[in-house]
Amino acid sequence: MNRSELIIQIIALATLIIACVLVWILTTEVFHVEGDILSVPMDLDSESDLIDRLYRMIPLLCVAMLLSIAFAFYIEEWLSETTWYYRIINQHISILANIPSLIYGILVVCIFLFQVGKFSNFTLVLAIVFLVVPVTIQTTQSAIRGVDLSVREAAYALGANRWQVITDHVFPRAFPKITGGVFTVISRVLAIAVLLIIVCELRTSIIQDVGSYEISSNVFVLISLALLSCVLSSFLQK
Amino acid sequence: MKNKIEISDLKVYYGEKPALNGISFDVHENEILGIIGPAQSGKTTLLKVINRTLEFTQDISVQGSVMLDGVDIYSIGDVYALRKQIGMVLPLPVGLPLSIYDNVAFAPRTSGLRDKVELDEIVERCLTQAALWDEVKDRLDSLGTKLSGGQQQRLTIARALSHQPEILCLDEFSIAVDPITTMRIEDVLKDLKNEMTILLVTNLVQQAKRLANRTAFMLNGDLIEIDETDVIFSDNPGQESTYDYVNGNFG
Repeated sequence: MNRSELIIQIIALATLIIACVLVWILTTEVFHVEGDILSVPMDLDSESDLIDRLYRMIPLLCVAMLLSIAFAFYIEEWLSETTWYYRIINQHISILANIPSLIYGILVVCIFLFQVGKFSNFTLVLAIVFLVVPVTIQTTQSAIRGVDLSVREAAYALGANRWQVITDHVFPRAFPKITGGVFTVISRVLAIAVLLIIVCELRTSIIQDVGSYEISSNVFVLISLALLSCVLSSFLQK
Repeated sequence: MKNKIEISDLKVYYGEKPALNGISFDVHENEILGIIGPAQSGKTTLLKVINRTLEFTQDISVQGSVMLDGVDIYSIGDVYALRKQIGMVLPLPVGLPLSIYDNVAFAPRTSGLRDKVELDEIVERCLTQAALWDEVKDRLDSLGTKLSGGQQQRLTIARALSHQPEILCLDEFSIAVDPITTMRIEDVLKDLKNEMTILLVTNLVQQAKRLANRTAFMLNGDLIEIDETDVIFSDNPGQESTYDYVNGNFG
């Protein structure tokens, strides 16, 4: 690995940590107060309420996936691979996508359930965005890269412009892999949903048992462990 | 004779490695120019420079000028229009993931042609020219990638003809085609010469001898010699290495 690669890794890591701190401040300082416009406080007396809420997340899931696929096409087809922002975006996506989904689930439960003390739409939005977007982008990217260069050359040689090449040739060839990626992501989301349902059922008793739960240090230990493992894995892959 | 393409001092580098070391020659209108030479001599690179698909390769630099009808192709803003003027046939067939009909109708459709009758005419004409019409006329809706290798290659030739190019570049088109079909395509090329300029890159020197009006011999990125085919294949061409290559002493 050369020096510029290292610098990009460090920048990616730094922005991730800053993003985590921002989320932390947002959740504890901003959304803790009554002015939480995005959230409708939710009484988790019945688990059907949570499942109902998960059903309502399906449109959001679809939108997130479509946007991620579109974004993957943008960075693969329009951005040049040699530019520094392409590499930084890629580094971020691979770090985020490599974090096990369990970590996200625990983070969501810890931060929002225990710290904020209520379970809102915003929580689910954030969880789904973190779970869905990086992995969808990554699988779509590899699907696009899997399309043979000769197909592009043949289509370009016929005078097709970039849009026609993408819609008529790259997309149909990448489509099976993209759908495969989408199903992987759905299974991730379902796994976390199951986890959340179980934890939420236990919630009342946990909070009663633990009392004033010292959450902040544990969460940061979790975040740093997750990031460390991902950075290590991306180092080892090189 | 009018010059269709004028190439002067063309240099191409892949990174630091030179692929073409400053070659210059002209291509006349309505001729078949055979380009022969062993592997790594820059033949395919030359064709890719002409239709500007070399730009998809990372780390390349192109110096010198390529004039098409007196216009430098690297100063043209609309590269897609340039590529529509040039038909390209690659060594191994690349079936686009479309039906046979759509494969041939693809290029006319990208130029905005929607009339079914006209498209039908173009498809039939191109497939006939590529000696494929009789074999596929009953199954134009089946996938182009399902055809055999030789048929797919003829399909790519039909596709290259579909936008009525002014220049047709054939890059070792006969690799995946059987000898009988090759002869049929060669007959078609002789007819097409009246309508367009043909650049024929080939590993088969005898093919250049049969078809080409003039022949260029390239070696390691240099243009060794370009002359009338009769001269190149005679007993005393301009360069000794040409004689050696044509007669199979090396390469």
